[in-house]
Amino acid sequence: MEWLLELLQILIFPGIVFAIVLAFVYEWFDRKIYAKLQNRVGPLYTGKSGILQPFADFVKLLAKEDITPGEVDKPLFNALPIVALTLSLMGFLALPITGLRGIISFNGDLIFLIALMTLICIVIIYSGISSSNRFSTVGAERAALQLLGYEIPMMLSAISIGILAGSMWVYDIVNTQVSGIWFLVGPSILGFAIFVLCGQAELERIPFDIPEAETEIVAGWLTEFSGKKLALFRLTKDVELLYLSGLAVALFLGGPSGPVISGLEPILYPIYFLLKTLFVLFLLTTLRALFARLRIDQMVNFSWKYLVPLAILQVLLVRVIV
Amino acid sequence: MSMLKEIQRSLFKKRATVLYPFKERERVHIPDGLRGKISFDRDKCTGCLLCSRFCPSGACEIVTDEKGKRPVFHLELCLFCSQCQEVCPKGAINLTEEFELAAFDRKAFTIK
Amino acid sequence: MQKEEFQRTEKKSAYELFFDMPVGPQHPALKEPAFFKFKVEGERVIGVDADVSYNHRGIEKALEYRNYIQNIYLIERICGICNVAHTLCYAQAVEQLHGKEIPPRANYIRLMIEELARIHSHALWLGVAAHEIGFDTLFMYVWRDREVVMDIIEMLTGNRVTTAINTIGGVRRDVSDEAKYKVKKGMDILEERLKYYRNVALNDPTVNARCSDVGILKPRDAIRLCAVGPTLRASGVKNDVRLDDPYTLHDEVPFNIVTCDTMDVLGRVVVRVDEMLESVNMVRYCLEHMPNGDVKIKLSLSPPVGEAISRVEAPRGELIHYARSNGTKNPERYKVRTPTFGNIPAVCDMLTSKGDYEVNIADIPITLASIDPCFSCTARMEFRDVSKSKTWVWSLEELKAHCKK
Repeated sequence: MEWLLELLQILIFPGIVFAIVLAFVYEWFDRKIYAKLQNRVGPLYTGKSGILQPFADFVKLLAKEDITPGEVDKPLFNALPIVALTLSLMGFLALPITGLRGIISFNGDLIFLIALMTLICIVIIYSGISSSNRFSTVGAERAALQLLGYEIPMMLSAISIGILAGSMWVYDIVNTQVSGIWFLVGPSILGFAIFVLCGQAELERIPFDIPEAETEIVAGWLTEFSGKKLALFRLTKDVELLYLSGLAVALFLGGPSGPVISGLEPILYPIYFLLKTLFVLFLLTTLRALFARLRIDQMVNFSWKYLVPLAILQVLLVRVIV
Repeated sequence: MSMLKEIQRSLFKKRATVLYPFKERERVHIPDGLRGKISFDRDKCTGCLLCSRFCPSGACEIVTDEKGKRPVFHLELCLFCSQCQEVCPKGAINLTEEFELAAFDRKAFTIK
Repeated sequence: MQKEEFQRTEKKSAYELFFDMPVGPQHPALKEPAFFKFKVEGERVIGVDADVSYNHRGIEKALEYRNYIQNIYLIERICGICNVAHTLCYAQAVEQLHGKEIPPRANYIRLMIEELARIHSHALWLGVAAHEIGFDTLFMYVWRDREVVMDIIEMLTGNRVTTAINTIGGVRRDVSDEAKYKVKKGMDILEERLKYYRNVALNDPTVNARCSDVGILKPRDAIRLCAVGPTLRASGVKNDVRLDDPYTLHDEVPFNIVTCDTMDVLGRVVVRVDEMLESVNMVRYCLEHMPNGDVKIKLSLSPPVGEAISRVEAPRGELIHYARSNGTKNPERYKVRTPTFGNIPAVCDMLTSKGDYEVNIADIPITLASIDPCFSCTARMEFRDVSKSKTWVWSLEELKAHCKK
C-alpha cells in the first residue's frame, strides 16, 4: 500500500492536481490584487468574485483553434509546451508542503530546483526560436539575455542560504530555520529581496516582462502559440509563479513550519504554506504594479551593477556569520 | 516613490469601477441634457421636413400618414447630434436622457 | 541640456544580419491602422519606412455633397479625440466666408470647451504612453482621473466625446451658473492630480529610464521636417497657433507656451502635462470673465462666394482647414490637414539610429506614441486616373519628393 499512497501523493495531494488548482487560485489572487492596487475590480463574474476566471480562460483556450504555422520546427514546437509544464510541476513536487520534506527530496536538491528554473527559461528560448517568427525570435533573444542577467544573483542568494544551513538540501535548510534561527530577520533579508526581484524576472512580469513585452513585440516568444499550446504555456506560468513563491518560502521564510499543535501538522503545515506563499505573491504583485517595463539593456545593466554585487555581499555576510 | 504611496492608498480605497450593467445602476450619473434616444410628438409636428433636410446621416426618413408628412427616425443611423431638435420650429422632437439602446430587434430602433 | 550633434554617417554593422520587422497595420502598439517597416539588426533599429494610408474615408469628397450644417457633424468625425478642434476650425472657416464675428460669450464658451478637450486628449495620451512603456498602473490612474474632465464635458455639451458644441455662428449650448460651479470644482481636483502626474513623470525611476534620451528630435530637424504641436515644443521651439495667429480669444486670455529643451519623449510628457495645467488656468479665467449675452448669431445657409483658411491649435498640433464656397448650400472644395500628418516625417527621423544615437525595438512604441498619432485622420490623399480606371495612393517619399518640386 506504500506505493499507492505515494502515487496518490504525487498525483493528487500535494501533487499535480493540487498544484494546478492552486496555480489557478494564485493567478486569480494576483489579478485581483493587481486590480485592487490599480483601483479596479479585476475578475468578477465567473464564480465567487471571479475566482474561476483563470480556469475559464484555460478552458476557453483549450477549445480554441490550434494553429501550427507552416514554417515552424514542428516536433519542437509541439513538444515544448508539455516539456515546460512538466518541468514546472516537477519543481512543485520538490517543495515542502505537508511536511518538512517535499515528495521529491534528496541531498543537494537545491541545485536541482534552480536548474529546473533555468531549464524552463531554455524551453522559452527554444520555443521562441522554433516559431520562426520575427517577434518570437526577438523575444527568445531577449529571454536569453535576461537569463544572463537574473540567474547569477538568484543562484548566489539561494546558495547563501545553503551556506548558512551548511547543506544544499531543502529539507536541511527548512529544518535549520525551524530549529531556532528565523533567517529573514537575520542576515538573509537582502538575499530574500534579491530572490524576489529575480523571481519577478524569471516569471517575466513587469518590470521584467521584456521577452513578451506586449506593446513592443506583440507577445514575444509566445506569438505563434495558440489554442492548447498557449493554454499549457499559461498554465506553466501559473505553476511557475506558485513554485517560485513556494521556493522563496522554503528558503527564506521557514517553509511550511510555524507554531503547531502536535498531531495536527499535516493540516497546519499546508495552511502555513499557503499563507506564506500568498505573502510572497503579494510582494510580487506589488512589484508588478509599481514599475514600468525596463529595456533589456537597462535590465542587464541593473542586474550586473546592483544585484550581482549585492548577492556577493550577501554570500560574504553569511560566510562571516557562519 | 510617489507611486508607492499612491498604490498603498489604492489598496484601502474603494474601487473606482462602477459595476454598471448588473449592479450599482444608481452610481451612473446622467447629466441633464444628455443627447440620448429621440422622442417624437406627432401632435406638435406640422410636417415642415426641416429635420430631414438637416439630418447629417439620413436617419430621418419622411413618410406620409393620415395626417400628412412626418419623419420616422432610424436610431441605427442616428448620430445623436440633436440637430433635428434644434431646427424643429414646434419642439416636436426631443432627445431624452435614455441611453441604453441595445436591442435584438431592429424595430426597436425605429421611432414613430 | 545640450546634446552633441549626431553623426549622419551610418555605423557599419558588425554582423550584417538585418531583418524587416513589421509594426502594423495591426499591432498592440498602434491603436489605429498604419504600417511601419523597421529594418532591425538585433535590437537596433537602422531604418524605417512608413505607410499611413490604411483608412481612407473620403471625408473631403463627402463634405461637398452635404450642406454646411450637416458638415459640422461629418467634420467632427474626422477625429474623435480632437473633434472640438475640428468643429472649431470648420466653424471659423465658414464664419470667415460669411465675414461675421460671433458674440463674445460664444467665444468664451468655445475657448473653454477647446481647452477642456485639450485636457481630455492629453490625459488620454498620457495613459496610452504609460501603457506603451508597460506602466499599466499609471495608465489606470490617469484614465480614472480623466473621468473628471469627461464628466464636465458631458455636462456642458451633452456627450462625453463627440461634443457637437460648436456651430456656424456660435455655440449650441449656454453654460449655466450651476455648471460653472461644477467645472470650477472639477478643475481643482484636476490641478492637484496633474501636479502629481508631473511629479511621477519627473521622478519615477523606471519612467525616466524609458523616456529620457529616447526619440530625440533636435530643434533644427524639427523645423526642417515640419513637426507641429507638442512634438515641436518639446524640442524647444516656441511655436503655437494660439500665440502666432490668435483665434477665438487667445489674445485676451493669458497663457504660457510650454516648451522643453530636452528634445526627448520625457520632454513631450512634461510639455503635455504642463499644457494641461495651463489649460486648467485658462478654463478658470474663462469662467470668471465670461460676459453675458447671446451665444449664437444666425447666419444664412449659403455663404457668399470666396475662400477661407482657418488654423487651430488642436491637442496634437496645428490643424488647417481650407474651404471654398461657390455661393450654394454645399462647399465647393474642402481640405483638411491634420497635425499627425505633419509629424510623421519627424517620427521617422526619431526612429532611425544615427551615429551614437541608438534606437532599440523597445523604444518603438513609446516613440511612435510620443507624437500622439491619429493615423486615421491622415489618409485623405488618393489619386485616380479615370482614363485607365486605376487608383493609387502616394507614399510619404513620393509626397516629400513632390513637395520639393
